Amino acid sequence: MSQRIVLVGLSHHTAPVEVRERVAFANGRLDLALRGLVALPNVNEGVIVSTCNRVEVVACGRDPDAVAAELPAFLADAHRLPADELASSLYTHRDREAIRHLFRVAASLDSMVVGEPQILGQLKEQYATAAAVGASGRVLHRCFHKSFSVAKRIRSETGIAEKAVSVGSAAVELAGDIFDHFEDKTVLLLGAGTMGELTARALLGRGAGTLMVANRTFERAADVARELGGLAVPFERVGRMLPHADLVISAAGGDLLVRPGPVEEAMRERRGRPMLLIDLAVPRSIDPAVNALDGVYLFDVDDLDGVVAENRGARASEAVRAEAIVEAEVESFWTWLQGLDVVPTIVALRDKMEGIRQREVERHLTALGSADPRQREAVERLTRAIVNKILHHPVTALRRHQAVRGESFYVEAARSLFHLGSDEPPDDEES
Amino acid sequence: MEIVLLRGAAGLYLAATVAALTGIAVRRDFPSRLFLWLVGAGLVLHVISIVIRTSLVGHLPVANFGEGLSLLAVLLVVLFLAVQLRGPLLALGAVVMPLVFGLTSFASVLKGGAQPLPAILHSVWLPVHVLLAFLGDAVFAIACSASVLYLIQERRLKMHRGRSVLRHLPSLERLDQVSHTCLKWGLILLTLAIVTGIVWAHEAWGRGFWLTDPKVLTTLLVWALYMVLLQGRMTAGWRGRWAAQLTIAGFAVIVVSLVGVNLLGLGIHGRAF
Repeated sequence: MSQRIVLVGLSHHTAPVEVRERVAFANGRLDLALRGLVALPNVNEGVIVSTCNRVEVVACGRDPDAVAAELPAFLADAHRLPADELASSLYTHRDREAIRHLFRVAASLDSMVVGEPQILGQLKEQYATAAAVGASGRVLHRCFHKSFSVAKRIRSETGIAEKAVSVGSAAVELAGDIFDHFEDKTVLLLGAGTMGELTARALLGRGAGTLMVANRTFERAADVARELGGLAVPFERVGRMLPHADLVISAAGGDLLVRPGPVEEAMRERRGRPMLLIDLAVPRSIDPAVNALDGVYLFDVDDLDGVVAENRGARASEAVRAEAIVEAEVESFWTWLQGLDVVPTIVALRDKMEGIRQREVERHLTALGSADPRQREAVERLTRAIVNKILHHPVTALRRHQAVRGESFYVEAARSLFHLGSDEPPDDEES
Repeated sequence: MEIVLLRGAAGLYLAATVAALTGIAVRRDFPSRLFLWLVGAGLVLHVISIVIRTSLVGHLPVANFGEGLSLLAVLLVVLFLAVQLRGPLLALGAVVMPLVFGLTSFASVLKGGAQPLPAILHSVWLPVHVLLAFLGDAVFAIACSASVLYLIQERRLKMHRGRSVLRHLPSLERLDQVSHTCLKWGLILLTLAIVTGIVWAHEAWGRGFWLTDPKVLTTLLVWALYMVLLQGRMTAGWRGRWAAQLTIAGFAVIVVSLVGVNLLGLGIHGRAF
């Protein structure tokens, strides 16, 4: 086959957040990385998918083994990490598996919280970056757009996304049980990791008025604060900010950050206005005793799990239907991809011509009523020669263009002109 | 005739209660809209019934316990609908409407023929004093209902209870705010009721014995309790569970004085209200 798809990456299934953090591509650095990716000797096309839960490189090339060998080193180099450090976290998918994986990711079947809606948007954004840089080509263009339409189909045909159940929306749901309006509420985000950032984003999306971000490294807090339109707070001053916080999202691992004493004091200063604390860190960063204070409501990750568990259960059966859709779509894309290959195209072309030739010879010999074997032999040779002469140039052209430019345009043209195989009409591609 | 209307209203209130409970459980649009229609229809029948009664007896029908309960119920419905203007509170309906249904059906079964009002009570102060007092009671009933919901929601949150039937309760903030607003208005109305009561009593009997009337004493107790609560809310930041508990306690005193005084027929309020 001429173009093979290879996917190398790591996700929340294979790597802890400390590793994922180190290989994540910041938005601004994606262009550069994509240029580096397609500059690799064996890679023709490439797209990088980088979210808080996964970093994956999807590449296209003629030699899948060579591509698969280049990608891990590329990932390590891009982040100046020793190559062997990532080895245990990386997975490699090829061809059909790579396509299936991408489709499942787009449809949020591979997400930490199945059905969460953010992933599709992130995927589209990062595909657009690759397209803008010129890193993605014909095959990945089709592959990614197909993944978007698969995700859309699954969203509309299964109940998998009926209720948003990411941690962020669980937090919003809880906040709605306590607060009536959000414009005058202040969110304090402790730890500027992706989980906390997503939750803060969800609360801001719900209308929360002010955001304060505190992180052990102040620069990171400043980055996140700038991105979300918040206020960076020095980590040491968190205690003094506590009275102003209506919602505290803690995603800072390490040690016990929030203890009952300061919270009790803060509540006095707040004159009893309720405070919602959400502890996303494992191990926990907020003392569970805080929940016993009047007007203080503390939820940790397991409690949030309880909030979304019911929805999640309902989703499991929907996920089965979603997987079936993925399978069908993988098959249809696979057929198209194979169609791009020159050898089967030539074979199909010859088969088609041979079929026509045989049918016509049979028909006309019967009409002539001649059964002389020598005459028959002559007609066979004549028609075969005509077919071969007609096919000579198209077949050579197909071989040459494929070999020289790795392009599938002529193959597709041939399949379409001669109506070969079950080539589906071009997709209704969304953009 | 007016009793039939009253029973019709009670039936509609019961249906509204069912609609409210269904609406909380399934959180669909239909039950909540149906709920408002049922409450509205009940209110119309109820008001017509009271108007007929008024024209029959020639004064505000508060001469016996049944008439009083009916009037209290109708005020409660009006106030409940007024609270809805600031956004629907179906859950509050699920607490208030059973109460309204109870009051209305109790009023409709009490055999209260039209009683002549004692001559001494014939006064312009009758409708003024009674309406103020009942409005105050109704406002406190709403405050109490919101506080009950507050305690349920607060407990659910503290226990990290998952998603039960109760998950569609209003937010703590909204409930606290309803309770707080009702407390303020209730205190204003109660104060006015006390003042008009004093003026009226002074006119009727002169200075004296009404000061030892059990209803007057319990009312002063409620007034003091709610005054302390309002003070605490406005200056010391009392809110949340403690404030809700005090609100409920205050309303319990109101209920005791309403039911106790009238069923036992104590004091000058005992014959009617």
